[in-house]
Amino acid sequence: MFFHIVLERNMQLHPRYFGRNLRDNLVSKLMKDVEGTCSGKHGFVVAITGIENVGKGLIRDGTGFVTFPVKYQCVVFRPFKGEILEAVVTMVNKMGFFAEAGPVQIFVSNHLIPDDMEFQSGDMPNYTTSDGSVKIQKDSEVRLKIIGTRVDATEIFCIGTIKDDFLGVINDPTTT
Amino acid sequence: MEKNGKGFSMPKSSLKSTPSKDDSSQKSKEGRKVQFNNGGSPEERFDYSKSNGKSSSSADKGGRGSTANGKASKSKEKEPLELRLNQELLKNAKCLMDCEAAEIIQGIQDQMTLLSQDATIKLPVSFHKGLQYSQANARYTNTHSVRRVLDTLKKHGVVEGEISVIANACPESTEEVFALVPSLKSKKSILQEPLEVALMVIKPLRKVDSTSV
Repeated sequence: MFFHIVLERNMQLHPRYFGRNLRDNLVSKLMKDVEGTCSGKHGFVVAITGIENVGKGLIRDGTGFVTFPVKYQCVVFRPFKGEILEAVVTMVNKMGFFAEAGPVQIFVSNHLIPDDMEFQSGDMPNYTTSDGSVKIQKDSEVRLKIIGTRVDATEIFCIGTIKDDFLGVINDPTTT
Repeated sequence: MEKNGKGFSMPKSSLKSTPSKDDSSQKSKEGRKVQFNNGGSPEERFDYSKSNGKSSSSADKGGRGSTANGKASKSKEKEPLELRLNQELLKNAKCLMDCEAAEIIQGIQDQMTLLSQDATIKLPVSFHKGLQYSQANARYTNTHSVRRVLDTLKKHGVVEGEISVIANACPESTEEVFALVPSLKSKKSILQEPLEVALMVIKPLRKVDSTSV
């Protein structure tokens, strides 16, 4: 789910960036440091939307660097347990399938796929119902529920299920 | 297998579900979970600790693969709480519907093309993925109207996170809403009618999708 949030960060700036363009340099550095990062607290920082406040700089002892507390608004993407997402399948194997929703990877184990769907191997591995009416393969769109999350170094990884009501395939690429 | 995924007992090394465990001050026992913070100044302030404590204790109870009725009811309570918890966890955050996020992120991309004089500012991969995802799931022609209509449910006790899930799911019926957002089931009698009205109002605002079956 997307959130619009205010975060605060202490930015260190080298004296070479001081001068007329101090604020612009600070904002550029903030964008380079923060956009695209991920943490467990607030998920992926997708984009910075604005700067609320730049506080007074404090010179650090022993170096010439100055630390500025910066408050900024940003759009973050953070999945939560219990959330319903629509994701695109990226890979299918006998253990389950991987799907992607925005910057987040989700794995759905075969134990959390309805029992009437079976794995079919081949050039295009897929899960199909016994009557062939519903198929999950690469590029299929599925609606799933997040049942667990984990934060790695630079990404958030989720476990999902399609075994509940109103979950499953939305769009089969072969029928379009 | 049980219908809902909670009954499935996963090995210990697999994922755990709570945001609290991702806190940098509590490194995972397995050493797998790493809190990513930028090396220089990792001081992003957030009032998170109280809610973390609650969620981790409830997750520990649920994570043991409950079989007894008492434990099962506790784990059932835990799941609905998670979506409500995100209101407490991200106190200063505004929950965005995918269509709202698409508008904001598209606006930023339009600005970036104007400000692209600085070649060192490149939009990260997560930006493009976020934009693509939000645009694909932006299902309404008028986001402000949808927001206004669904915000009327707040007076019946629906929180922002639940409103976003309802908007993003584009449900056809109230039955679908209660199935997808189990935390609303306890208020079914109160919410049934206003929810029906809200869904009727937002249905015509959906974009017509030629690829839908």
